[in-house]
This record gives sequence, C-alpha cells and structure tokens, in this order.
Amino acid sequence: MNLPNYFLADLPPEATLSPAMITEACQTLKRNREHYLAGRSTDSLVKILDEVAESWLQPHNSFRKLALELGPEKAGFSRAILAKGLDNFFRQLTRDNFHSLLQQEFGDARRLDKFVATSTEEKTNRSAMAVGPEFIVHIAAGNIPNPTLTSIVFGLLTRSAQFVKCASGSSFLPRMFAHSLYDADPKLGACLEIAEWRGGNAGLESALFTEADCVTATGSDETLLAIRAQLPIKTRFLGYGHRVSFGFVAAEVLHGSRAKKIVAAAADDVVAWNQLGCLSPHVIYVEVGGDVSPENFAELLADELERREQTEPRGELPAEHAAVIASRRGIYEVRAAHSPETTQHWCSKNSTAWTVVYEADARFQMSCLNRFIYVKAVSDLTAALHGADEIRGKVSTVGISAPEEKINEIATQLARWGATRVCPLGQMQNPPLTWRHDGRPPLGDLVTWADWET
Amino acid sequence: MLLGCGGKPAMNKHRMNKELSSFAARLRETILVVSREGREASDVRNIPSHSSRASRDISERDFSELALKLFALQFANNPAYRKICEARGLTPEILEHWTQISAVPTSAFKELELSCIPPDERTAVFHSSGTTEQKPSRHFHNAGSLAVYESSLWASFAANLLTGMPNSGLASFQSDAVLADSEIGVPAARQIQFLALTPPSEQVPHSSLVHMFETVRQKMDGASVPASRAEFLGRLAADGSWTLDFDATLVALDDNSKLKAQNSKLLLGTAFSFVHLLDYLAENNLKFQLRENSRVMETGGYKSRSRSMPKPELHALITERLGVPPENIICEYGMSELSSQAYDSEIHHPSSILNPRIFRFPPWARVQIISPETGHEVADGGTGLIRVFDLANVFSVAAIQTEDLGIRRGDGFELIGRAQLAEPRGCSLMSYSALRTLHSALK
Repeated sequence: MNLPNYFLADLPPEATLSPAMITEACQTLKRNREHYLAGRSTDSLVKILDEVAESWLQPHNSFRKLALELGPEKAGFSRAILAKGLDNFFRQLTRDNFHSLLQQEFGDARRLDKFVATSTEEKTNRSAMAVGPEFIVHIAAGNIPNPTLTSIVFGLLTRSAQFVKCASGSSFLPRMFAHSLYDADPKLGACLEIAEWRGGNAGLESALFTEADCVTATGSDETLLAIRAQLPIKTRFLGYGHRVSFGFVAAEVLHGSRAKKIVAAAADDVVAWNQLGCLSPHVIYVEVGGDVSPENFAELLADELERREQTEPRGELPAEHAAVIASRRGIYEVRAAHSPETTQHWCSKNSTAWTVVYEADARFQMSCLNRFIYVKAVSDLTAALHGADEIRGKVSTVGISAPEEKINEIATQLARWGATRVCPLGQMQNPPLTWRHDGRPPLGDLVTWADWET
Repeated sequence: MLLGCGGKPAMNKHRMNKELSSFAARLRETILVVSREGREASDVRNIPSHSSRASRDISERDFSELALKLFALQFANNPAYRKICEARGLTPEILEHWTQISAVPTSAFKELELSCIPPDERTAVFHSSGTTEQKPSRHFHNAGSLAVYESSLWASFAANLLTGMPNSGLASFQSDAVLADSEIGVPAARQIQFLALTPPSEQVPHSSLVHMFETVRQKMDGASVPASRAEFLGRLAADGSWTLDFDATLVALDDNSKLKAQNSKLLLGTAFSFVHLLDYLAENNLKFQLRENSRVMETGGYKSRSRSMPKPELHALITERLGVPPENIICEYGMSELSSQAYDSEIHHPSSILNPRIFRFPPWARVQIISPETGHEVADGGTGLIRVFDLANVFSVAAIQTEDLGIRRGDGFELIGRAQLAEPRGCSLMSYSALRTLHSALK
C-alpha cells in the first residue's frame, strides 16, 4: 500500500521544511477548518471516529496492516506490542465512551453544539456552551504513540484545526492514524497536519506558534518552559511534563492463584509499550507478610517476563540503549554477589529483553525502561510513599492490587499524597478515554465557555 | 580455633603480596623489553611500535599465561573481587584463556574496595572524575602499584606522543635510559616544552590523569625538578572544578615571549579544558602558531564541565587556534580504574570520515568489544561495550568492564562514548535534567 503525500510527514526525508511552508500549512488548515469542520455536529464527528476506530480493529484493515508491518522498523516496537497497544487504544473510541467523556467534561454531551442548560443552570436562567480553539498545535513527545493519537481525537471533537509536531523519528503511527481519518473523511483529514522535526528548530516553531490559539506539549519541564516562553499571552498553553508511575501490591492478596494473576498483571504493565510511557511502572512495591514474599514476587515476575518474551517480544534495541541495560545489570550483579539479602537480580539470557531487580531498599529508583523493572519490599503503603518521596508531585499512575476492603483507603491516601491516577495493576498503560491527564480535564482544558443569561 | 589462627593470615598475606610484587616486577621488565623491541621494529619499518597487530610483542599464549596467573593472585588477594567471581562460578582452576576472566564493571569501584592492597598499606587513591554528587570510583595504590602504573603509562606515552619527534632531544626518548624509569639522559628532553591544562598534582592528588602528566613531566624535566605553575596551567576552583589560568597559558603558548626559548610544545589536557582554552582564545580573537612538531594530547569527555563538542570539531579548532595540524593531535583513552591507556596513534595515521581514529592499548593490555545484548565479543565492525584486560592493574582487578561504547576495528577500537545514565543514583536521577536526558534518550 502506497500512501499519498497528504501530510508534511509524508515528504521524503531529504525534503527540508521552511517557516514559509509551515505558515502556509497553518493557514490552509484554518481555511479548511472554517469550511469543513467548524460547523460539524458532535454526533457526526463521534460517528466518524467510532467507525475509524472500529476499522482499525479489523485484521484486514489496510492502515492497521501497514502499521504492524512497518511499525517494528519505524516505531521500534515488535508487532505483538504494537497490535496490543493499538487495539487497547482503538477499543476506547466508542460512541458510549465519547458520550461519557462529553458528559463528564461539560455536564451535557451537547454543549459543543449549542447552548444547553443543566437542571441547576435552568433554575438560575442560565445556559452555556463550550467553544473549541480555532487552531491547536500539538508538540508531541516521541516515546509512545497513544497520547498523540488521543490529542488528535480530542482536537477533532472541539472542531479545531490541528498541527501535530512529532519528535524526530516518531511520526509514523500518528501519520497512519491521520491517513485513516483522511481516508474515512477527506474533509476532516484536511484539517489535520502531521510533521516531524527535531525539537528546538526556532524558525519552524516560531512560524507555528504565531498561528496557534492553543498549544499542547508533552516533554521535560525545560522543554515546556522553553515553549511557553515563546507563546503570545493570548495563546492557551497546556503543558504535560514527564511523569513516572509505580505499582503497589498489598500482602493480603499475595496467595495462591491470585498471586499468579497479580504477577501476570504486573508483567502486562511492564510489557505494554515496552514500559516506555509515563504510565508504565518503574518500580513495583510489594508488601511483606503475604504468602508470596517480595523476593518471590520478583522471581515469579522474572518467569512471567520470560514467557512474555516468547509471545510479545520486546524487539531489538539500539546498542546504546542495550548498553545502558547491560551496565545497570552489572551494578546489580555486583551488589547481589555482595549482599544477596538486600539485592537480587534476574536477567533474560543472551539478551537484554527483560530484567528484574529485587531490592530491600524502598527508595524509588528510576528504571532504564525497555522492560527493566524494580521490585521493592515495603512494610506498607506509607513506607512505599516514603520511599517515593523524591518523585512526589511527578507521579502519574499508581497501579494497585489490594483487598477490596482496603482499596478505598489506599486510593484516598495516594490521592492526598499527589498521585493523579489509581488503577488496577495490569491497566496502568491502558487509561480510559475519560482519563484526566495529569489530573486535568481532557476536553475542559481545551475549550472556552460562553455563558448566556436570559 | 579463632585464636589459633592468629599468625597465619598475616603470613599468607605477606606471601601473597610478595607474589603480586614479583608479578609486578616481572611485568615492568616485560613492559621495558616489549617497548624496546617495538621501538626497534618501528625504527626499521619507520612506523610506530603499537600501530598494528604485527608489532604486538606479547604473544597470545604469553598474554594468556600472564593474565591467568594474575587472575589467580587477584582471586586470592582481592576479597571483593573473589565474591563477584564466585557468584559467577568463575574460579582460577577452571579458566583456560584470558578472555574467560571475570570482568568487573567500573561502577563496582564506586561501591567496593577492589584492591589486593591491605587498607593500612594503601598510599594513594585515584578517583574517577565526574560530578561531585556521585560517589567516585576508587582505585587504591601503594608504591609498588604506582611503579607499575608509571612504567606502563610512560612506555605508552613515549611510544605514542614522542616517537618521531625530530631534533636531538628526541634521542633521549628513544633511549632505554629514559624508558627504564631512569632520570639519566633527561636534559635533551628539555627541547620539548611540557604544558598541561590541568591543575598540578598536589592540588588534585586523586586524579590518575594528572598523576600521569606529572610522571611524564618528571621523565622530561628530571624527577628532582619541581613542577612549576608555568607547566600545569589548570587551577582548582573553590567548587572543586578545574579552571585554566589564562594569563599563564597565554605566556606559555607565546613563543615570542622573551622568557621562552623557541621550542616544540607538548600540550596535554582534557577535552573540556581545551574547550575552555579555545573559547577564551576565540573571545579574545587570539591565535597561536605553535612550533613545528608541537603535539597535542586530548582525553576524556566533558561531564558537563564545558559545552561538549564532537572530536573533529574540537580538533579543527585546535588546528585553527593553536596551529597544530590534525596529524599531531593525539587522543588518549584512559580511566582511573586502569593502569594502561589506549592511544589513537594519530601522528602516523591521519583520520578522516572514512578512516576514523582507532584506539589501541599497549601489548600488556587487551581490549574486547562486548555486545551489550549477548555479553559476547562482537564481530569486527560491531558496536559494543569496551572491556579491557590490563595486566598493569596488578594490585586491583585486571579485567575491567567499562560503560563506554566502541566499535571493534581489528585489534583496536573506535570510541563512541559513554552509555548514558548507566548508574542508577537515586535522587540525582530525579532532577529535571536527568528526566530529560532519560526521555530524550528514549526518543
């Protein structure tokens, strides 16, 4: 299948973008949006998105096939990992989920179409509608595709023209999705641009930011600061700094077959997108006192990761990333030889495919990712949070496995501590469409309200 | 029982140390012989002694024999090392070849005392350079191990930096007298001016690099001549960072100064110290034309101590600002955990994009490029982590697994550099810049 050159990211690698090209693209997007998107109904947009998502889930869909065929080389994930990650994403895009999202964000799913009053508003003779920005620029980080695809979907719902700037080497999957939208509805596709360049290109970015009403960006705090500094005061900026995540397993659930399921769930989180997303765990904290000790949990997790390598292989890594894993393993091998009571490690043979490090020390440890997971023993959740104190305020997701009667208390403790998402272990890298990214309203942050008092 | 053991361990210790000391003495002799033979060979063929496998003067068999013998001694005398070997199931009796010897990661030098020298006999320690909040590597020495280090470094340095330098002074470098750790025959060396862009060794006693420079200086000036501030142009700032005394550097580089004789210069420094110097020269619009046959040796990375610069760019600026042609700029690869250094022999093999700089260790150290995926040596042209078997590490661990990436090129390697973020270090990883580095590394 040959894809037509609809997007800047379709141009051959030797093509050089110029600020004039960016400006022209932005103006075209805005014109197209005026003609084809601004007047669309929410229902029609949801219908298209639902259909496109449904088609991506079909094995013979040409975009899906192309993504899975070229993805391992272009995006660096094995076919199995791509298939699972993309399926999890597209399964979320249903009419029901869109309805829930709109309801959650606006109190009424019709707010993007017209003035609507909730029952409370009716009592005060008010109604309100939400208006999306004319033109959104997304500065997308490159590690995994789902956040970028989600941004595109949200921008369509708010009837915004969108320019997606991908990090170098990461535009392939957003491009595939954009082509599938174009294919389903060329007029919608004409309101979307995908481009790729190494961040920090002042000429291109300045041309881009001049046109934007709203800029969303994912990246380091330095990147976000640098982008924000370039924006005019009128431009809305939504910055998503890098976050880290971890898991917590309570002692009570670590027995018998349940323990096995929990280990499998932990493996799901490590394997999903090869652990590269902000929602992927660096550490799994395991409470002591269960039938399965934290060390045993680590060993079981190692066995499970070895099995997963057969069915959902990690894929090849560039030498410099493999070297980081090899060097880190070296550190833990030495520690394990000298103090096996506090450090143990398990490694895939003849590859860096997976690594499990057990440490008695509860201090949170950044993983080098690509399926390198720490299992740490703790006396309870408080001890885990004490160990994670250095990342407080930078935590996105905590995946938990705990007895029913304790879950509420655990979730509340985590929320008060600063975690913005608590979910079952095994679902960390699979947030729902309604997920409040970094604790912020996903659509609510994009729109501007218009109130009407009668 | 415990009491009854009273005297024995000390006697064993003494005996073991004696064996290590005699190994050290034998190795120093070997270094001397190998260097002389290499030099004679290069005189005949007019090529440097260590630039090709053909001139390697320790046979595979001899090297293996020496390495296995040393491994047995280190296994017996270095408890921290022994534990690692035992965990891997690698003991002296089962090994047959030097490539099977257990290599320890450089990071282990940060956490363990990897030394055969008992604590009360250690007289010097070299630390890895790096940012101050990290725990540095510690490589312990005593007089015996420093003597091996000095023999090794001087033989390599002379072979790579000083061979082929014209004028009468160089005869002395090629004479056994100088290589034999002696001060005889030194005066002629003064025709080459020694300049180091580092602080003097008394300011940085834990720098193995500066110890090396000071050793070289003593060989050239004579051990009895104290180092002057005009020779070590770096200074130690209050925060522990290395800076340059620019005024002293300008005087030292300026041949027109009445204080200086017109002579060739040997300018040694770290890559970041050269960047500091070159930036200063550029800001002040200054250029020098060092006398013909002057040579530059640069080593090491940047470690955030200056802006970093690709080597070809750094070398081009050195040529532009100091007038030293690329073929007279030599790169060194060394570290505090080693006692031998690799050089890229640039003098004789100017590099280009097609002909990259190839580093080689002296014959008493061998290198393997290890695939990070499989842990096995890569094929020629493959990329992997640099592992060094350095016989001159007599009193610590000979087999060192570095965190640096290289490309295997024949018996040498092309240097790529440090595998980023190899060391998990708790809070410092939590800094924004570490997160950024991590995530940009993932892009």
